[in-house]
Amino acid sequence: MDNKRKLIQWLQETSFREVTLFVDFLVTAYISYFYVSQLVNASTEQLASIEWLSTVLFEVIVYSIALMVVSYIVLAFISDDELSRPMDVREKQINLVGYKYTAIILQVGVILALFQYNIAAQDFEFMQSSLPHLPLHILVGAFLIAELAHYGVQLYKGRSGDIYG
Amino acid sequence: MGNPEVNKIGISNSIRTLRFLNNEMTQKQLAEHIGVTRQTVMAIESNKYSPTLEVAFKIAEVFDLPLDKVFSYRSGR
Repeated sequence: MDNKRKLIQWLQETSFREVTLFVDFLVTAYISYFYVSQLVNASTEQLASIEWLSTVLFEVIVYSIALMVVSYIVLAFISDDELSRPMDVREKQINLVGYKYTAIILQVGVILALFQYNIAAQDFEFMQSSLPHLPLHILVGAFLIAELAHYGVQLYKGRSGDIYG
Repeated sequence: MGNPEVNKIGISNSIRTLRFLNNEMTQKQLAEHIGVTRQTVMAIESNKYSPTLEVAFKIAEVFDLPLDKVFSYRSGR
């Protein structure tokens, strides 16, 4: 009974923006899973093939757009006009904190990818891996992790209220 | 046992009490009056977020009180 009351309270405290962020987080997590599972299940020939890689990346883009559109249509139906309401100052601050982490992860990803590219060009593997097109995978991975961090940080900061930490 | 939030250094407020005294105004109603989300009102009430000066004045205006009756500042000195 106590748990039920807590759940009801939690649902009442949950804003439409939190639901939207949570859906975005889940969609990004699914796309990340799809991308990683494609890489894990691919043969060595497929991994080396630029055609196969471009097909996978194209599928990732199509999945991203389709899932985002579907989720936003569903959210628009269940919202009570919160979708069109502008963010207040606190939400903008939380959004900026999210972008800060996104920027850090993307910067690290780009630097790692450039480092790997330069080192591989000199026939020296920075990461002990036989994965072809590794710099590209690092960039895509960094992008997906950055997106997850963007949504995750906003959810955490919005829920904990501690946006200055 | 004292409330640890009261002794905390920084900005504190009596919004929860004032809401109760104003016909048990809900957080959502207050949020609509001042143009922020209910989550922001919750964060302000629990002293986890310091509102902007504009929002602070709007809250005081809703309760028809001067700013220092709604918010108080406790420094470390």
